[in-house]
Amino acid sequence: MFKKLAKQNPTFRIALTHLLGKRRQTLVAMLGVTFGIAVFIFQAGLIMGFQTTFIDRTINTTANIRLFNEADKNRRSLVEEFDTAASHWTVVYSQKPKEVEPKIKNASYIIHDIERNPDVAGVSPFLAAQVIFRSGITQKAGHADGVDVRSEDKLFDMKQYMKEGDLLKLETMSNAIILGSGLAADLGAKINDNITVVSQKGVSLSLKVVGIHESGLTEIDKVRAYVKINTAQKLLNTDANYITDINIKLRNIDKAEELAKDFQRKYNCKSEDWKQANANIFGIFKVQNMVTYLVIISILIVSGFGIFNIQMMIIYEKMGDIAILKAIGYKDRDIKKIFLTESIVIGITGGLLGLLLGYIVSVIIGSIPINVNGFISVNHLTFNRDPILFVLAFVFGIIATSIAGYLPARKAAKVDPVDIIRGK
Amino acid sequence: MREQHKNITGKNSGSSSALSDVIIQTKHVDKYFYDPEKFKVLSDINIQLKRAEFCSIMGASGSGKSTLLYLLSTLDTDYEGEIWIDDTNLKTLSKNQLAELRNERIGFVFQFHYLLPEFTVLENVKLPALKLARYSDAEIEQKALEKLDILGLRDQALKRANKLSGGQQQRVAIARALINDPEIIFGDEPTGNLDSKNAQMVTGILKELKQELKQTILVVTHDNNFAASTERIIVFKDGEVVEDKYNS
Repeated sequence: MFKKLAKQNPTFRIALTHLLGKRRQTLVAMLGVTFGIAVFIFQAGLIMGFQTTFIDRTINTTANIRLFNEADKNRRSLVEEFDTAASHWTVVYSQKPKEVEPKIKNASYIIHDIERNPDVAGVSPFLAAQVIFRSGITQKAGHADGVDVRSEDKLFDMKQYMKEGDLLKLETMSNAIILGSGLAADLGAKINDNITVVSQKGVSLSLKVVGIHESGLTEIDKVRAYVKINTAQKLLNTDANYITDINIKLRNIDKAEELAKDFQRKYNCKSEDWKQANANIFGIFKVQNMVTYLVIISILIVSGFGIFNIQMMIIYEKMGDIAILKAIGYKDRDIKKIFLTESIVIGITGGLLGLLLGYIVSVIIGSIPINVNGFISVNHLTFNRDPILFVLAFVFGIIATSIAGYLPARKAAKVDPVDIIRGK
Repeated sequence: MREQHKNITGKNSGSSSALSDVIIQTKHVDKYFYDPEKFKVLSDINIQLKRAEFCSIMGASGSGKSTLLYLLSTLDTDYEGEIWIDDTNLKTLSKNQLAELRNERIGFVFQFHYLLPEFTVLENVKLPALKLARYSDAEIEQKALEKLDILGLRDQALKRANKLSGGQQQRVAIARALINDPEIIFGDEPTGNLDSKNAQMVTGILKELKQELKQTILVVTHDNNFAASTERIIVFKDGEVVEDKYNS
């Protein structure tokens, strides 16, 4: 088909001849595009893969919606409330928030009610206690999360993230605790060790480590431990109805924002959906994406220069050809077509190779086991290999090469044959 | 376009046969060069070329003879006055229309052959016909081989153009100029780069063409022998026609 096209269409044939006449430069220009597209596939795939992993982990380990109660910090003072005359104003300095327990009133009813909502996949009560963990002379600040193991496991798939030990022992044993992996390492605590947990209220309990949990989110694993709800209630010195949070998992996480508002109104408490809870992370993602796009754009610009360069070289070398083609009746647009065809051929072949290279490199890098313990803990890099990404990379590549090829092509079309022929 | 042209000339031949005889006509053509400073290259040129006339233009370097050739051949469009090919004023045509006119009705032979070096002889000859696209590829190939046959190059058809000798290349260039059977052939010192033997050969070929194909041929030359073999000689000096004679 290629041959037939070349035979029927002299402009295409001439374009191919020009490229083949400058094999090395053509190859370099093509590899420029290949490299640009490969980096596009690799970089965007890596960043998007990382972000997807992170979001997956976050969704798996935090609630889609969290209901809680909070002291009203901007409460109007009593003076302001009763003295409403407009003729003067009063100022109360140093007003403290009213002491409101961050307890969710009527928690068991709310849990029961939400469980019947068809959009909800699971509900779990939750009670966090700020504590200090002690093992011998080592101390670490953190929080002991009081949970109902079975519903918590249903929500967050705790079993999958257990590094050691048995999750269910938390329920069956009294005075049991599961430590985050980072926390356990900091304390030097192992399974079956006893550690001391001291709360803000001054309650001190000796608890037995029955498991080590690793969510993969490093910062969280360093400060979080799980205990039974009534252990947490003991630590906070409160009654058996005391719950601070209700965690909710939805069947469709995109409904989180809307449902969070509903619940807030209905149950008269505060709510937060997973996007709000991780707003700072999504901010970081935005910056990350911007940097990625900048890198990709600059690489495509560089490969564009490669094409521009070879095209200008060919044009200067082939001035005579251009002049005679014009003299025998080829129009300006035919000449432009020849040189644009060259750029696009470079772009298409370089682009296809780039897609292949990017895919292969991402497969190879993705299969190398590595241990990253940074922002998140992973044992290999995950790549996003969405077909849309490949289409996008290819389209970008073609656009870049077309732009880079257009300027030389226009220059070629403007060559004045009389200048060339008389100048010889 | 060609159809239209035939119609009009056909009509004209009935009423005024003198007009249809003239294929190229200039009316008060002036031409300036602006670089490095404004300079009048051609001044008030009025020439008529008849159909099937074999004419040479002579003159010293810088006398303006080549400049006129490029004006007549539609490649250079920057002039004052009027140039008519048949009943068409070139000034009324767009760049694309001029390109079509060159493709269909004009053949060029330059001092340098300007063949595409990577293409075969046959492909080079086919180029103008592929652009015209009036015939199928097979027909074009057949015609190209015929032209090469006339010029004694049929056996070289599949060689690459840059593998031929200078004289052969110039003959290929002539075959390329003939492929669309143009009415006019312009030559800019077509024998200028050739040794005397090849120059004689090219001269002979052009003469034969004129006789057999009835084409109008206008050639700029320094070569007295060549000029002597043409029907008409126009001599230029300092941008003006100083002599216009017919060889007997």
